[in-house]
Amino acid sequence: MTAFTALLAGFSLLVTAYFLLWNTLQIAMSPYAAVFLWRHKQRHTRRARALIADLASPPLVSIIMPALNEELTIVDSVRALLALEYEARELVVVNDGSSDGTLDLLRSTFGLLPAPFAYVQPLKTARVRGVYRSVSDPGLIVVDKENGGCKSDAANAGINAASGVAVLVIDADTVLEPDALSRAILPFLEDATTVAVGGNVAIINGCRVRDGRIVEVVLPSNWLARFQIVEYMRAFLLFRLACAAWNAVPIISGAFGLFRREAVIAVGGYDTTAIGEDMDLTLRLQRHFRARGEPARIAFDPNPLGWTQVPDDFASLRSQRCRWRRGLLQVLWRQRAMIGNARYGVIGIATLPYIAFFDGLGPLLEVAGYVVTLGAVWLGLLNWEFFDLMILVSVLFGAAVTLVAVFLSDLATRRYMNGRDLVLLVAAAIVESFGYRQINSWWGCVGTVQAMTGKGGWGSMKRRAFQT
Amino acid sequence: MILSILRLEGAVSLITHLAIGFAATMAAVVVIERVVYGLQLIRRRRIESRYAPVIARALHGDSGARETLVHCPSRHNLPVARLLIEPLIDDRDPHRIAMTRTIAQDMAVLELADRYLRSPFWWRRALALRALGLLQTRERTGAIIGALDDANAGVRSAALDALADLHDPASVSAIVMRLHDSSLPVGRRAAALAAFGAACEPIVLDVAQVDPEHLVNYARALIFCGTARSRAALHGWTRDRRPEVRAAAFEALAHVGLDHEGARLAIDALARDDVPVRAMAAQALRGWNDDSEAVAELARHLDDEWAVAVRAARSLQSMGKAGAVALGAFASRGDLPGLLARQMLWRADAALP
Repeated sequence: MTAFTALLAGFSLLVTAYFLLWNTLQIAMSPYAAVFLWRHKQRHTRRARALIADLASPPLVSIIMPALNEELTIVDSVRALLALEYEARELVVVNDGSSDGTLDLLRSTFGLLPAPFAYVQPLKTARVRGVYRSVSDPGLIVVDKENGGCKSDAANAGINAASGVAVLVIDADTVLEPDALSRAILPFLEDATTVAVGGNVAIINGCRVRDGRIVEVVLPSNWLARFQIVEYMRAFLLFRLACAAWNAVPIISGAFGLFRREAVIAVGGYDTTAIGEDMDLTLRLQRHFRARGEPARIAFDPNPLGWTQVPDDFASLRSQRCRWRRGLLQVLWRQRAMIGNARYGVIGIATLPYIAFFDGLGPLLEVAGYVVTLGAVWLGLLNWEFFDLMILVSVLFGAAVTLVAVFLSDLATRRYMNGRDLVLLVAAAIVESFGYRQINSWWGCVGTVQAMTGKGGWGSMKRRAFQT
Repeated sequence: MILSILRLEGAVSLITHLAIGFAATMAAVVVIERVVYGLQLIRRRRIESRYAPVIARALHGDSGARETLVHCPSRHNLPVARLLIEPLIDDRDPHRIAMTRTIAQDMAVLELADRYLRSPFWWRRALALRALGLLQTRERTGAIIGALDDANAGVRSAALDALADLHDPASVSAIVMRLHDSSLPVGRRAAALAAFGAACEPIVLDVAQVDPEHLVNYARALIFCGTARSRAALHGWTRDRRPEVRAAAFEALAHVGLDHEGARLAIDALARDDVPVRAMAAQALRGWNDDSEAVAELARHLDDEWAVAVRAARSLQSMGKAGAVALGAFASRGDLPGLLARQMLWRADAALP
């Protein structure tokens, strides 16, 4: 019994140390994130953004939009993208073997004509059945291909067909800010070594959308979506900003990522076997350039450039989280040579070890902690005073870290500004500690088992119509 | 029990207090920040509604409105100056700029900008530079050029923007001399050069003569500002020993347009040079009509490396009937040249550029 008690004590100590370290690092990140944000605002002034208009020929950006059975939203999405405030753009819609009327709808709405379209195909993809160009808008290209089984394959087909120096890969349901491209292109114009730019992705659930544009930002009424808003704020405005301050961005969200086309091709494009294709590509870019000693910058724009829908039902969320988990473990395994390796700079010695330790081990340790706690209760070994304090401290730190993210979000975006929203966000940060966090950790464990047994598919997410 | 074993009571108490303190502090910070922002917004809107009509009248020459602006309370000086100057980012009407400058002068905004230029805070220096540029305050050209060597990258960028806005011919040489200064943002260097257009050309050509090491940058600069006057120099640069210089020279020739000698050089380069040079030579021939030799040479390169082939095809598309005939000869083939030819003929039919 004494040995068991000592083991229990040791484990408690480990969990406490882990928890304290995580919170300390979150707090330590906040000044870096704040300074980065402040500098970004000072430099990316209205005058700086007007630079695009001063250029005789701004860089051509190809927007790649993979579409699979999107007949309900495709026309609105294409119209919104064609109306972006950036002239030098082309839109490459990749119809990834849709079985609905996606292609017919595009054909009839935009006057598509089959076009002989010659281009080199440096990236291998499923067979391309045809290429269409719009008579009404020459900037619209539609690539019709057989389904390659994943979004990556469609994105690669789009990158092949793209003629822009930069490619923006987005999801079919991503809503872009009108000035998203003119903001995101700036790092490429500032620094010739820029290979990619990630953007802050905001959550569209609850917002009012008209003609593919956000007309009113509203906090969703669904609590699952609210928890995810708090999560996204912490992820985008604490961790990624801090990483960006050190040129050590480990992931560019699939919802908005602008890449130098040549760089993507140099690393072989999206890996169709990767589950977390966005993190996989970002880390391969980091590895490629750092291994060669070539200067490369992956920039991050803290302004909301794209809006995406998050799951607001348990089944969709579970499937997404299990997939994210499998993707994370796969990419960490594939890039294990970078972890702790000083050759890769800050991303090798800080970012990836952080991700491996906290995101990789976190859910397992947390669930183990709950099991041990239950065991201690059953055996009558739990110190309730200590337990209560730990819960209190955990909730307080969680709320405080969320408030840091809210503060940064206020500075960057001025979203959710009324008092009710603030109260709801803080409430979400507190309530998430009682159930949401635990279930997420559990899904993390399920995802780990799936990763180890090779099970688990892509899953599906119930899409909701936008509120107008 | 665990607690007593490890004797962590003191530490736990400290952590609890830290957590409470941190959460309370952050809650206070967020609330205060939001209140301050709200108050600032109200103030800004109030100032905007009060002064925007006055500014509009002053810009139309109303002396009374101008007096109101000049004698506005000093606490309103900076927001009013912002209201006055910021529209110049999009509206570069010379009359509006001149009127705004006069009003800003009377409001002592320029003195404030001078003070800001000497500020130890880089964002103030950058703000002053942007304002001086937008107002086209040519008396400050020297100071703005000096800021190109500022220790802070944000200030250097603002100085380049200011020089582009200032449009003072006296600053052209400073811009050209810094074409290869990689500490300055590449896009802004291009924008500053583009702002002056052909006015930069003589200086680019002069500097290129004394600085052959950076010839590639000068050739690239002529892509933005070159005219027919640059042809002779560019012809010479197409024979440079460095392929990147030859490629840039052909790219610039594509912009300024070919003459017979340039076309001859491009055809020769297509026949025997490196891939990037061949690609740019093919591009330079775009629109060069009625030259059967050029058409034949371009057609030969439809099955060259992709970078060359696609440019050769685009140039053939631009060559009217002769180009269409050459493309037509390939159109029935099932290989890449055939597909390229069909694409270009289709583009020509659809009147795509």
